[in-house]
Amino acid sequence: MTQFTLNGQSVEIDNPSDELLLLVIRDKLGLKGTKYGCGAAMCGACTVHVDGRPEFSCQLSVGDVAGAEVTTIEGLSEDGTHPLQKAWVDQQVPQCGYCQSGQIMRAAALLAENPNPSRTEIAEYMSANLCRCGTYNRIFKAVEQAAQEV
Amino acid sequence: MTTSLTKSDFSRRGFLKGGAGLAFFLGAGGLSAVAVRAQNAEPLDVNPWLTISPSGTISIVFPSTEMGQSSYSTLPQILAEELDANWDDVVIAQLNEDDRTFGNPLFGGVLYTAGSTSVQGYYEPMRRAGAQARDVLLQIASRQLEVRKDSLRTEPSAVVAEDGTRLSYGALAASGTEDVQIPDADAIALKDPQDFRIIGQEVPRRDVPAKSTGKARYAIDVEIDNMAYAAVLRTPVEGETPRSVDDAEARAVAGVIDVVTLPDGVAVVAESLWAALGARDLVQVTWSDSSPARAFDSNATLAAYAEAARDPQAEAAVWAQTGDAASAIAKADRTVSHLYLSDYAYHAQIEPMAAVATVDPDGMGAEVWAGTQTQSWTTHTVMETLGTTQDRIRLNMMTMGGSFGRRTAFVQDYVRDAVLSSKAVGRPVKVIWTREDDVKHGTFRPAAAQKLEAGLTAHGRLTGWHHRVATPSVIGFFNPGRWEAVKPNDVISMRGAESKFYGIKDFQADHIITERQARLAPYRGIGAAYTSFAAEAFMDELAAEAGRDPLDFRLDLVEENPRGRHLLEKVAEMSGWRARGDRALGLSFAGYSSSMAAGVAEIEVDDDTGEIAVTQIWAAVDAGRIVSPDNAHNQIEGGIIFGISSALTERIDIEEGQVLQSNFFDYEILRADRVPQIDIYMATVEAPPTGVGEVGTPMASAAIANAFFAAKGQRLRHMPFTPDRVRDALQSELRLDL
Ligand code: FES
Ligand code: FES
Repeated sequence: MTQFTLNGQSVEIDNPSDELLLLVIRDKLGLKGTKYGCGAAMCGACTVHVDGRPEFSCQLSVGDVAGAEVTTIEGLSEDGTHPLQKAWVDQQVPQCGYCQSGQIMRAAALLAENPNPSRTEIAEYMSANLCRCGTYNRIFKAVEQAAQEV
Repeated sequence: MTTSLTKSDFSRRGFLKGGAGLAFFLGAGGLSAVAVRAQNAEPLDVNPWLTISPSGTISIVFPSTEMGQSSYSTLPQILAEELDANWDDVVIAQLNEDDRTFGNPLFGGVLYTAGSTSVQGYYEPMRRAGAQARDVLLQIASRQLEVRKDSLRTEPSAVVAEDGTRLSYGALAASGTEDVQIPDADAIALKDPQDFRIIGQEVPRRDVPAKSTGKARYAIDVEIDNMAYAAVLRTPVEGETPRSVDDAEARAVAGVIDVVTLPDGVAVVAESLWAALGARDLVQVTWSDSSPARAFDSNATLAAYAEAARDPQAEAAVWAQTGDAASAIAKADRTVSHLYLSDYAYHAQIEPMAAVATVDPDGMGAEVWAGTQTQSWTTHTVMETLGTTQDRIRLNMMTMGGSFGRRTAFVQDYVRDAVLSSKAVGRPVKVIWTREDDVKHGTFRPAAAQKLEAGLTAHGRLTGWHHRVATPSVIGFFNPGRWEAVKPNDVISMRGAESKFYGIKDFQADHIITERQARLAPYRGIGAAYTSFAAEAFMDELAAEAGRDPLDFRLDLVEENPRGRHLLEKVAEMSGWRARGDRALGLSFAGYSSSMAAGVAEIEVDDDTGEIAVTQIWAAVDAGRIVSPDNAHNQIEGGIIFGISSALTERIDIEEGQVLQSNFFDYEILRADRVPQIDIYMATVEAPPTGVGEVGTPMASAAIANAFFAAKGQRLRHMPFTPDRVRDALQSELRLDL
């Protein structure tokens, strides 16, 4: 039995404690916004926050987050109106959209650390996350827009 | 005017059966076979293009599938424009069956979303369908108000009379179609583009909010009652089959339901993906070992293709020809010839293959959830797998996490595996490929070797062009039936080699159809992803040989293509080409189908590491009328980034029939820190739309190679331009021609 906080609510999980956090979030807890892309810390589609830090949920077991606070895209805002999400819509960032939960979660961690990042800082920080559709420049603009609002 | 109907909404079919309001559809006979059904209509056994409910909701069919290109929004916008609908009233209905009524006109009516054809192919028919529906609404209003039809006009979702009376489309839909004449679609007047309210405007994409909140659902996310998960151990080499399977240990893993032998693999079905993946590692399979694919070796393949390209006697199919290239080259003052190489490349869509199937108890029907580029071939796959008929198949076409050609095959193995696994265990099953599965069992852009030869006049002008492409037939592999119909013309392998944006008088492009030595598929840009690399890198070499500016050299060749000329001049202006001094700029002019793009790349080279940094791209694009400008911009930019990525890093190697790469650490795609600033200009033209999804890709690699020459005076003729190749080029003072 592993207990942790998911998007502000306490959850108890009886999956094996070595089971991937990513799969527990998606298949056991039913939150599908966090994506599987590589399972290897290479794409960032699975990015969540653990105690406020951006983590690849494909690299954590559920045991690793015992007692921690985990936030997924579903918990970033109640109604999809986080400044980053609004900026994502304003800038019409997504194409296929598959990478975008991870991008937004990574960007949220960036702004928490550095409320006024330069373009270079954004690009560097966001380099953990791949976007095969090539929406990077829009991501940069959206992060800059949100930074103005936060 | 009110309607007696209070029911606020209807499902599309329920609405038809309920028999209130209007449904329009295009029959098998084409646009003229439009029917209008009214209150007492018989239920229709067809899908209409649109329905208008009394509540005013307008449901428009989306006949393609969505993989990021946004035709989910763009195609319905086209119909809504001619209908003069308020876009906010429109709901979009994904077409979930192989109903050829809605077939892609550019693929012979097959439901196929590829080749940047959706807007191009559906533009005209969807406009006409919308215009027809609008005309019927005007007729109803005219009858109702007892005024002449031509005294009426429309505003978004309403007919307005001269005295200001407004009748909403919803109210009109509820009031019956007595005396309505169905206008001839082919003759119906379409809007003057100046009156467009939706096309050409900044209409936001419909799917962006869901994709910004984690709510969009992909095949990999589908969850249905009692669903099990399968991980498939696939044959390590194409063409092998499992001979014997030792699954005792795997079956002992908690949660494992069954181990199912497939034609080319073994599926481990379990209560969770975690259990399935763990148990898969424990399955021992003895594979057959007689497949000729065991000999596949990408280095040997490319060497063989290069030899074929160099061999003037190699048998070739003529792909494009004008005048007499051979004699023009023979008569030229000077001739130039070079060989260009490109490796296999992988799609790298971020959602790996996934599908869910639930097979009916009698084993003769199934419901399937999958993201694919074709309703037709997904239906076909399920029919073949179950040996059943189309009416037993219920499809759910899911939005895809990228595709770029990945999900186009005639037989879709991941869909097949979900169906077979579900049939075996009698439960719904979701098959998910890991990234390693997706890379190792990928279907690739083919390797290619290309020999170009051309003549120059004493004045440094081009005379005669001969482009020989040694690469296998892609269609021959991914859709063999189609190949029988089209051979020896393989547009997937050869597109771009026709260099049709230039007016080269004596021109020939040949396809040396080499032996296939990997699994192949269409890929963003298809043939143009490498033929335009070779052609445009060669064009630059010719200009240098002629002692001419690469821009002037090309401008000679676009005298009969004023739209192309405009792009070249525009991109020169944007990039400051004429005053570039010693900036490392490279020019390229290519495109896709009838869409054109002129691009300039600026780069920096790290001599020690051999890394190329692309710092800026300017692109001028002509894709005819742009239906959705903001999305077009996003697509073109994405296409350019895709092109840069394949030019710099992307390479698949094969040894003993096995792919060496396995994940994003050894198959690198462009990351945020290597993305250049990109400036895009889209020409405004009065011409039909020609597609934006791939136009950005083909020109990118040659622009980089040409910028490298500007920087270093050396040529890069083997794509990708990996650091080792760049260092080789830097070290070869006088590189001998291959
Ligand atoms: S799925 Fe975790 S980084 Fe790719
Ligand atoms: S939007 Fe498709 S991978 Fe990023």
